[in-house]
Amino acid sequence: MSEKQTILIIEDERAISNFISRALAANDYRTIPAYTGKEGLSLFFSHGPDMVLLDLGLPDIDGLEILSQLRGLPREVPVIIISARDRESEKVRALDMGADDYVVKPFGVSELLARIRSTLRRAERLKLSQGIQRSVYQIKDLTIDLARHQVLLGEEEVHFTQNEFKIIELLAIHAGKVLTYDFILEHIWGPYGGTGSNQILRVNMANIRRKLKENPSEPKYIHTELGIGYRMLDD
Amino acid sequence: MVYYITLCRPIQAPSALTHFDSVKIFHLPALGFTFSGIFGIIVFILITARLPSPKGPHERTGAMTLPQNLKDLYHQLDIQFHRIPAVPRNLGVTALFLCAAYYASSILITHTGGENNSALVFVLAVALISLLTSGYAYGIAASIIGTLFINIYFMEPYDAFSLSRTGYPVAMLSMVAISCVICALTARVKKQATEAVRREKKAKALYEQNERLNAEKAAIQLQSERISIRESILRAVSHDLRTPLTSISGAVAVLLESPEVSQKNLAMLSDIKQDADSLIVMVENLLSVTRVQDGTMPLKKREEMLEEVAGDALLTTRRRFPNCHIAMDLSEDILYLPMDPLLVKQVIVNLLENAIRHSGDTEHITLHLYREDDWAVVEVRDRGRGLSPEVCQAVRAGQPMPRSLSGDSTRGMGIGLSVCQNIIKAHGGFFTADNHMDGGAVFRFGLPTV
Repeated sequence: MSEKQTILIIEDERAISNFISRALAANDYRTIPAYTGKEGLSLFFSHGPDMVLLDLGLPDIDGLEILSQLRGLPREVPVIIISARDRESEKVRALDMGADDYVVKPFGVSELLARIRSTLRRAERLKLSQGIQRSVYQIKDLTIDLARHQVLLGEEEVHFTQNEFKIIELLAIHAGKVLTYDFILEHIWGPYGGTGSNQILRVNMANIRRKLKENPSEPKYIHTELGIGYRMLDD
Repeated sequence: MVYYITLCRPIQAPSALTHFDSVKIFHLPALGFTFSGIFGIIVFILITARLPSPKGPHERTGAMTLPQNLKDLYHQLDIQFHRIPAVPRNLGVTALFLCAAYYASSILITHTGGENNSALVFVLAVALISLLTSGYAYGIAASIIGTLFINIYFMEPYDAFSLSRTGYPVAMLSMVAISCVICALTARVKKQATEAVRREKKAKALYEQNERLNAEKAAIQLQSERISIRESILRAVSHDLRTPLTSISGAVAVLLESPEVSQKNLAMLSDIKQDADSLIVMVENLLSVTRVQDGTMPLKKREEMLEEVAGDALLTTRRRFPNCHIAMDLSEDILYLPMDPLLVKQVIVNLLENAIRHSGDTEHITLHLYREDDWAVVEVRDRGRGLSPEVCQAVRAGQPMPRSLSGDSTRGMGIGLSVCQNIIKAHGGFFTADNHMDGGAVFRFGLPTV
């Protein structure tokens, strides 16, 4: 890639914005800082960045409002949310509105960089595939064959129930992206599947984890986003 | 001396007895009425005397005016009166007033002769009876009996029932009719009066309930206002502390990666980074402890998978201490229970950090989840130097950690464990700290699954 990728940072705390800029610059990204929501939107339209880092707690416009404006555009630009620790519902709403990922304050630089890399890669992949779905997904030694309805762990086949397979399939299609509980519930159990409780999903997930011999403290395939949802790792 | 007992009312003794010196004439109905009247009064007095006197709000101190006194007396009597069962009370009242009317008429007839004043006396008696008894029956019965009395004892021919005289049946019927009408009217008035009293009582009860509800509402409002003020202060404080700490830690992380920093400065920077990170943890602990401690703020409980919370805690710890080894043992059971996941995660993070920093062992720390009866238990174990008896003692007694732990080398251990204890207590769980037989410390906490 000859051209540097541009990242718009909409964050009102200058200190945080500065160190993110420095870190990104050190990792070969071009950054544009914006300190208010309005500035962020106008810089977005004038510069056309490849990605947006968006703080939800902005002084002038609600972060979710900016997100919905960005999502209303024909060009899909990946957005990573920066939010406070104790505002889970806000994060979940942002993700359901189409944000690609999130980091929680206080976050570390390496964590942020990993999220940015993964999101950009996914966006790239989506652009290349042009919406054509793959039928085989490979995550480390886990092979998910959608056409043959088969999951291989190394050489061995792992047997899943119908719903468990559907969950794995959904996570694999969106590998790298956090899927919220509600999103998964709606896709697998229908719009009324998870009214009030997501226990059914959580229990299915606990069973999948046991079948894959996956320990949540050392996730190899499926990462748990506590209180928010799940993400299939893509690298 | 001769006793002459008769059912009739002789003006004088019959001629057959005139040769006796003295004749005592006993008139049976009069005797009966007298005795029943006296009996009624005695019964009334006995019953009222036996019942404990009700202590009402009428026992006031200070001077009482006469009307006030009389009113109180009336009230007391009324209360006592109504304590007698209804049937004897009504019968007694009826007998008493008929008796009184009879006597009054007897006295009147000696002064006025054959004039019909007795009818008015009996109507008055009927009115009083219907006023003091419940229902129509007694009044109507009294009016019929009264009419018969008038006919028998106070009309020509005395001491005999007679309808032969002109106008007698009409007079009797009209007397009965008037009595019945009076009786009906008083009954209605009484009914209205009791209805009014009932309504008043109801209105009063409603008013009181309203008052109480208002007071409750005000209290709840105050409480929720207090909670929301605390929430917003906490949020502001946490934001104001976290944001600069994030940027300090982040900026140092950037500097640590950059090639322009000399080796000497690198060591200082990494110290800054470590301290900033532990400050971040400390801030989280302080915020949690203020949230949980006095129990005024409700826990944000929801159903959560314990293994996911523990896994997340372990990931967080590993990020901060990349060089230590912690093994996590999953329970075969699925432990899905209500908790405040952020707080429980913090407890686990604190316990792991505690083990890493204070046990002297960073290689064999285990995190074990299992079910024990109705508890979902989390156990953090190390193979280090173990706990001092003071710490075990303090944890067992649920006391704050001893002061010796707040020294430099053990910075944060005291507050960390206090936070853990408080959070688990707020969840209704148990928290223990012991030394394992094979060495090392074991911290365990359980959360109720039901």
